[in-house]
Parts: sequence; C-alpha cells; structure tokens
Amino acid sequence: MKFIIEHLEKNFEKKQVFKDISFTFEAGKIYGLLGRNGAGKTTLFNCLNKDLKSDGGSFYISEDGQRRETVPEDIGYVLSTPTVPEFLTGREFLKFFVDIHEESIKDLRPLDEYFDSMSIAPEDRDKLLKDYSHGMKNKMQMLINIIAKPNILLLDEPLTSLDVVVAEEMKQLLRSLKEGRITIFSTHILDLALDLCDEIVLLSHGELEIVDKADLGSREFKEKIIEALREDGNE
Amino acid sequence: MNKTLRISFALKNTYRVNSILYALKQIPLLKKILPSSLYQVRGFKILANVLSVIWEVICVFLGKFLYFLLMIVLASTLYKTESSEGLFLHLLVLLTMLGSFVNTYMFDPTRDKFYALMSLNMNAREYTLVNYGYAIIKVLVGFTLFGIIFGLGAGLPLWQCILIPFFVAGIKITVAVTSLWKYERTGEATNENLLGKFQWIAIVLFLAAAYGLPALGILIPKFVCGVIMTVCVITGLFSVRKILRFSYYREVYRQILSETITIRQNAQDAVKEQSFKKISTDVTIQSKRKGFEYLNELFIKRHRKILWKSVKKIAAISAALFVVSLGLLWYFPEAKAEVNDLLLNAFPMTLFFMYAINRGTRFTSVLFINCDHSLLTYSFYKKPGYILQLFQIRLREIIKVNLLPAAVISAGLALLLFVSGGTEKPVIYVVMIASVLCQSIFFSVHYLTIYYLLQPYNEGTEIKSGMYQIITFVTYGVCYSVMQMKTPTLYFCLITIVFSVLYCIVASILVYKLAAKTFKIRT
Repeated sequence: MKFIIEHLEKNFEKKQVFKDISFTFEAGKIYGLLGRNGAGKTTLFNCLNKDLKSDGGSFYISEDGQRRETVPEDIGYVLSTPTVPEFLTGREFLKFFVDIHEESIKDLRPLDEYFDSMSIAPEDRDKLLKDYSHGMKNKMQMLINIIAKPNILLLDEPLTSLDVVVAEEMKQLLRSLKEGRITIFSTHILDLALDLCDEIVLLSHGELEIVDKADLGSREFKEKIIEALREDGNE
Repeated sequence: MNKTLRISFALKNTYRVNSILYALKQIPLLKKILPSSLYQVRGFKILANVLSVIWEVICVFLGKFLYFLLMIVLASTLYKTESSEGLFLHLLVLLTMLGSFVNTYMFDPTRDKFYALMSLNMNAREYTLVNYGYAIIKVLVGFTLFGIIFGLGAGLPLWQCILIPFFVAGIKITVAVTSLWKYERTGEATNENLLGKFQWIAIVLFLAAAYGLPALGILIPKFVCGVIMTVCVITGLFSVRKILRFSYYREVYRQILSETITIRQNAQDAVKEQSFKKISTDVTIQSKRKGFEYLNELFIKRHRKILWKSVKKIAAISAALFVVSLGLLWYFPEAKAEVNDLLLNAFPMTLFFMYAINRGTRFTSVLFINCDHSLLTYSFYKKPGYILQLFQIRLREIIKVNLLPAAVISAGLALLLFVSGGTEKPVIYVVMIASVLCQSIFFSVHYLTIYYLLQPYNEGTEIKSGMYQIITFVTYGVCYSVMQMKTPTLYFCLITIVFSVLYCIVASILVYKLAAKTFKIRT
C-alpha cells in the first residue's frame, strides 16, 4: 500500500503555505516530519484528514496498482493536545467506539485487553475521562486511533508533553504498530525523530523533501537536517 | 512623564483601533472583502483612528450629556415639586456620591491598563498619574459645559453651576484616596468591577434616596447640598497630594488586574472547566444501549442537571402562574373579558415567550464543549452516516427537553381561555395547544439545525461564525416584532403550525444535504 500526495497546494489568503507537495509514503515505515515553527505541519495533517480544504492537488491510496480516495476510516489522527469526550469513562468511550465499528474490527478482543495493551491501570478504566491525567488522555486517544487499524496514522507532536516512562511506552507501541501501515509523525525534537523514524521528511519552502541518510553518521545526518531547515528561515 | 503620556495614549489608541478593525472583520460580507493585512493598511488605520478620536470625544461629552439628561432632567419630570433647582441638586449630589465609588477611573481594571502595566511593565505610578489626571480633566471639561447648561436650566445660580465639576472631581479624588489609604493599611486593593457587599448595599441606598425621597416629598435642603459640594471640593484639593505621593500603584494594579483580566487562553480554559464541572460524577449512571444511542443516553444522564433542571423549573413556575391567574380570575370576575380578549387577539406574545424559555442554545453549547469538541477530532465521528444518525437522536432529545414546559403552557393557556369565557369556535382550543407545541418544536429544530449547518465554535470553544450570531440576532428580532402584532388567535396559530412544519421539513433536508460538509471544528 502506498499513500500518494500529488501537487498539493494550500494558501491562507495570499500566503502560500504549500506550493506543490508531492510525495509517496510507503507502508511499514515511520516517517518523521520535521519543519520549523509555522512551516505548516499541522496544516498538512489537517488537509490530509480533510478538516481543511486544500486549494489544489490530490492525495490517494494506491493498493495493488489500484488507486482510491481516502475515506475517514483510513486515517487515524492523534492531536498534540489530547481530546477525549470528558463525560465518558475510559471503558465507555472504548465500548462506544467498538460498538460502531463492530463489523470493521477484525479480531475484536475483550475491552480489558485493549487497556492492558496501553498499560492503563484497571482502577482508571471506569473513571470519567475528565479526571484523567494528560498522559492518560493521550494514551486513550492513541488507543481509539489504533484500534480500528487505520492505514495511515498521523501523529502531531504526540510525545512532547509525556513523562519519560509513558513516552517510552508510546515509542514501543508505535514501533510495534508500524507493520502494514503508514505512520507520519511530526515533531520538533530531532533526536526523537532520529530514534523512532525510518525516514526523515522535511517540510520547507512549502514542499516535502526526504533527507537522504546515505552513509552519513548520525551526527553528520543531524547537521545536514539542521542546515536544510536553517535555509528555510533565511528566505 | 511626557513619554509615559505619549506611550499610554498611543497604546490605548492602538488597542482601540485594532478592536475596531477586528470588529469590521467579523461582519460576514466585509470579512470576504477585507484583506488579512488589514491591520497594516494605512487607509484603514486612519479611518479607525478617526473613529477612535470620535469615540474619545463622545466619552467626554455625550456620556455626560446623557447622564444629565436622563438621570437628572428627565427623571425630575416624574416628580411634582416647586423647587426644580432643589430637586436638581438633590439628584446630582446623591448620584455623584454613588458615582464616586462605582466609577472611579483609578480602580477600573481595563484591558489597556493590563497591556501597559502587566505586559509592557510600564512605570505604574507615572502611568496612573498621567491617565488619572487625564480622566479628571475629562470630568472637569464635561461637567463644566453641561453643569452650566443644565444647572442654569434648572434655575441654579451660576456660581453653583461652576462648582459642579469641581465637586464631582473632588469627591472622586477623595474616595480614591480613601481606597489608597485602605490599601496601605490592609493590603487590599479596591476593584471597581468586584464590588463588595457593603458597596452594593450603598448603591441601593443611594439610588433609593435619590429617586425615592423626592416621591415622598423629601429633598436634601439646598443649603446642605451646597455644604456637601464645598466640603468635597476642599477634601479633593487636599487629597491630590496623596494621589501624587502614593507609592504602591504597581502593587495595587497587579492585584486588581490579575483579579479580573485573565489572558485569553486561560479564559477559554475556564469556560471548558466550568462546563466539565457540570458533568455528573454519579457512578450509578449506566446505559444498556449500543452505539450512538449509548453515547446519547450517557450524555443526557450525565448532563441531566443543566438540561432538565431548568426546564422543570420553568414548567413548575408556569404551572404556578396559571394557578394564580385562575385564582385571580375567580376572585375578580370582571377581569375575565379582558383576559379573554388578550387570549383571542394577542396570542403572538406566546412566540416571544417560547423563544425566551427555549433551551436550544444552551443544549448545543454543552453538546459542543463537552462532547463534539473532542469527538469531532476523530475521523470516524465525521462519517456522513454517523453525523445524521446522531443528529436524529439529538433532535429527539432537544425536542423532548423543550416540550415539557411547552405542554404545561399550552394546557394552561387553553384552560385560561375556557375559564375566562371560552370561545364560540372550539377548534381554537385545539390549534392553540398545537401552536404552542409547534413553536417549541420549531425553536428546538432551529437551534440544532443552525448548530449543525454553521457549527460556530472553534477549538477554543469560542463562537467564530458571524453568520451564526446574525441568525440568532434575527431570530430574536423576529420574535420580538411578532410579539407586537395583533392577530386573531385562530389565524396566528394556523400560521405558526404551518410554518413550523414547513421549517422542520426544510431544515431536515438541509441538514441531510449539507451537514456532512459543515459539521466540523472551525479552524
């Protein structure tokens, strides 16, 4: 499976955020999306999730040579600030989600197993989500997004505000999830991107470009990325 | 000092100019035309500056003019008294005393003060002296002009008219100084927007004395007024020294500004937090349903308090009012004819009443903040089929909530009509009840529909749709103007029934066609 973006454009009034984004993402890889503040990372995610209308171009999924439009179920989108329905308990939210996806979730397991997989403690499962900590809300949001096994997982700065233990758990989880899907991960933290991602993609000058690691050492690779990003600021 | 003056005026002006430009950008049609670079376009800046200056002049003159005209001169016409200058002085003295602590200028936590003192960290003492001085000058100028015009008009001698501005400024300064003293003693700063219990009592007492005593034929003697005015001028003069020497303005402002003005982000968080607090924590709440019905049932049960409590209250109050009215009719049978006429000819009034008691906007705002705000970030939730499924469920709920008081009111009105003499056409009872119920359903459908079609909130739970605000305003305007209509009840009821039914059909079609595209978080 591939996810292909062709000539995507987006303007805010006169400001051109994306000039001409064309890129092919491949299943099984985690892509680290890097860009300077205001480069448009969140805007790109919002366009791909169809929350924002793009001004030109297209994106589609290509499977066995067949291309098709993305549908909402294809995409899981984890926001940087976790948003969960505060009036439900963790278990209720999960039940609600499972209820309406009964047919599409292939290997449905008991709810507690899902909580176990995210290491959400048994005593927290029946608490209202409004009383969850930031990290727990984040886990819950992630859980809902991965349960239906979306083909594309968009993660907007997901680990930045988590404590080290939860962040490590999440990293493990993302690695375990990457098979068979495309994971695109935006972050400001270069080390995190290098640690977790298979490919580094830069969003600069309104375009996406891959940074070729070739046979650079990790230090040189880092410098190359920073250099590339720096140019963007000097326009 | 000079620099502080310049900066603080420039700041206030910039703030005002940008507010004007921002307001212009909120108007739907203008929004499309105006560029986002609006704030740097010279022409617009000049225009907004002109408006800002006009506003300043209005503040100096129009405010005072209206104050004299409405609060004193027009109010005076309500009383029968021979001494018009005595009444003028009585009202002026008492209202000025009231204003001395309600409208201090110094302890008013405004946004421009926030920017100057908290964000830009300007020298608080200089800033206060410059701005307070300016405010006092405005008082002197405005009150000199209108004090003389209205004072002479009321028959006051010229010297007393000229005393008015100094009296007003004097008492304001004196009261300000007592607040400064209080701060030095107790560390508590006076905040004009957060009045204490005693101040509220004082407000009531002063208002009662100002407008109540003349009705009883009692006025403060002219001589006493003269003494009060003179004393205030003298204490004011002495107080100026304290104003100039006080050295804790920074601390005072830090306190009152942080009490009242929070930066935007916090204000929104506060809105959300308030809303989350309304979620019931009752652990026995459960649901046996599935899918969206499950979601809806839990939502309704956990928000029972805000959704149902007030409608139950409205229903109970309406029922009580009807009982009282029936009792009164029984006691005063002569009023029956009039009530009967009202019910048969002034029925359009019910529309405004049904508008006022409808809980639609409350319902949708809770729906958004506590539910859709988060769920709309999940892509599954935005599938067209699901949006419509949930719309139907919610429509059913919102109609149910609003129907309870509507049922009580329709039954009450029909009963009142019967008791007050009835009508020759029994069909009127039927259409009357049907009309009130239809009106209730109409408002429920209306609010939920515009919520789905315009989804006015952004992630910060602020209303961002000018269109939404215009529609709610127009709804109000239409209901208000219909209230003034005199139409035979039969026709009015038939019209409302037909209109409601048609509206519901059109609204449903629109939601089915458009909601999948429009129902999303505004960015």
